[in-house]
Amino acid sequence: MNNPIQKVTTRSLEFITEYLQRYMQMTKDEVELLLQYCELRYFDKKEIILKEGETDNYFSMVVSGLVRKYIRVKKNEVILQLATEGHMVHSETSFLTRTPSLVELETLEPTTILSIRYDLMQEALAKYPNGERLGRLILTRMYIKKDERKHDRAAKTMKERFLEYVTNHPHMLQRVPQKYLASYLNIKPETFSRLKHLVKEKK
Amino acid sequence: MYNGLIDYFNRFIPLSPGDFEIMKEGIELRHIVKKEHLIKTGETEEYLYFISKGLAREYIVTGKQEVTTDIICEGTITGSASSFLGGGPSQYNIQAMEPVTAFVMSKHSLEKLYRADDKWERLGRLLTTHFLLQQEKHILDNIRYSVKERFLNFLEEHPLLVQRVSQKHLASYLNIKPETFSRMKKLLLTKLPANQKRK
Repeated sequence: MNNPIQKVTTRSLEFITEYLQRYMQMTKDEVELLLQYCELRYFDKKEIILKEGETDNYFSMVVSGLVRKYIRVKKNEVILQLATEGHMVHSETSFLTRTPSLVELETLEPTTILSIRYDLMQEALAKYPNGERLGRLILTRMYIKKDERKHDRAAKTMKERFLEYVTNHPHMLQRVPQKYLASYLNIKPETFSRLKHLVKEKK
Repeated sequence: MYNGLIDYFNRFIPLSPGDFEIMKEGIELRHIVKKEHLIKTGETEEYLYFISKGLAREYIVTGKQEVTTDIICEGTITGSASSFLGGGPSQYNIQAMEPVTAFVMSKHSLEKLYRADDKWERLGRLLTTHFLLQQEKHILDNIRYSVKERFLNFLEEHPLLVQRVSQKHLASYLNIKPETFSRMKKLLLTKLPANQKRK
């Protein structure tokens, strides 16, 4: 195994256990066994994790920090995801179909991610107790998020999307440059600014 | 009768005749008349549908407008997925656009399969992966491609559906204004000989 996790700090283990427990009941021992297949990867702020055209070898979860997933379209970048603690972030299509990625990943803060390499994931799915079940439940949650986001985009007005996002993720206004948030919510930067003032005045 | 269903699942994992017997215990056949809803916004989805015949659409209502968010034809699985999987109310409606024949499986039957053998967990994971990737493709295509490219891609991927789906719903699904859609359809279908429609 390449660079397996022999020891993680108690604190990291607690975080990771807590995140994984959202999918199914797991003891600390079971989590530690699973970590044998995984690796922790550390990135600085503004580091590219995955470039367009590369094949994503890792299925990853953010342990701490912030990662943006985006796609380049002509001269623009469109933000697809702003992943914080506990979120899964990778190029789903590239990783799962072993093809060059259309999307890129970049950190916005110093970031630690817990990753499982493609071949080791196959091994874990086969050997780890309840591996298939855990895999299905993680993918299910990713799918639900995507399904909800697709319908939110179609059903909600710009203002609704904005208000819902800032209400549910108040800390993101501080952590993420406005242009990225605006792109993620599919709102023009000028409009985003105006909406932000609206919220401030209310408070 | 079950051939379409068997072929569909065999794309993901090989299942023996015995496996299908077990699966069939949790499946019932349902006929849905045209315009009937499989689910409406706010309801909780209890079933997954394998469409064996017919056509349906997924849509949401925003203000007074309907937006078609998916078109579902034979050989695919549908249902209000996030409601079925997550247990919350459905965000959208699914309506038959033609008479539909479907094999349906309840959440209860599916959970029973999952508990019975890891192979069903594996099938579940592979199906979920497939749905996830389709959703991602739809999201990325809408960002990457122009209106004209989206139209041409759809023609190429679903040449027969263009005749079956009403122009209004198709334009809405492809996020193209109805006027633009109709102009483009005329232009492309009359100007290009059949063998050049493919890229």
